[in-house]
Amino acid sequence: MIKITKNSFNLDEEFIKIKDNSNGGYSFFLGTVREDIKNEKNKIQSITLECYESLAIKQLSNIRAQAIKNWDLNNCLIIHRIGKLSLGEKIVLIITASSHRENAIRACEFIIDNLKVNVALWKFNVFNGEEEPVNFKFKDKEKFLKWSDVINH
Amino acid sequence: MKLGSEIIEISDNLSFSELKEILRKKNPIFFEVFKDQSVKYFLNLTEIIDTNIYLKDGDEIAFLPPVTGG
Repeated sequence: MIKITKNSFNLDEEFIKIKDNSNGGYSFFLGTVREDIKNEKNKIQSITLECYESLAIKQLSNIRAQAIKNWDLNNCLIIHRIGKLSLGEKIVLIITASSHRENAIRACEFIIDNLKVNVALWKFNVFNGEEEPVNFKFKDKEKFLKWSDVINH
Repeated sequence: MKLGSEIIEISDNLSFSELKEILRKKNPIFFEVFKDQSVKYFLNLTEIIDTNIYLKDGDEIAFLPPVTGG
């Protein structure tokens, strides 16, 4: 299941959607809005997330399919929020389910590393009411490229 | 750069490279956009690799700066 939404979500409700007796392990990743400091006077008040939705859905579907195939997952759920989000709010949820824990854990890490550098979503920090685009981080790209053995098969 | 979209009319048998030229004349910001190696181009949700690809009526082209979701 893949969802891009302006609405928040409940972890238990989402877990029930993926829960099944065939699963021996689940892995979760939950990303939240972190308090960040631009300088001493400017702290992030909130963030805004923008999305090219039709492309992002296609990209997330491809990433999900790749993870299911590579780690033999029984199921996988990805939810990403868009719109205005306050400090501490949930941004992204990934749940992977498999017969054994190692596959679920590896697949979950692969999905978030991939999402951060390849999916059509853009984050803006809000300082004093002004939006400022978040810069692309090359360390995220480097982290994703460590999966090249997986993505090239 | 924020999300935005515009419908433009072009002649038949126009390549993506030729469209880039039209866009540069239309708005100087495209000089910067097309110089930026980090910007990716998509045609109908598929990344454009060959800029000589031809466009047709109804095509959707997207210019994407580096993504920062998650």
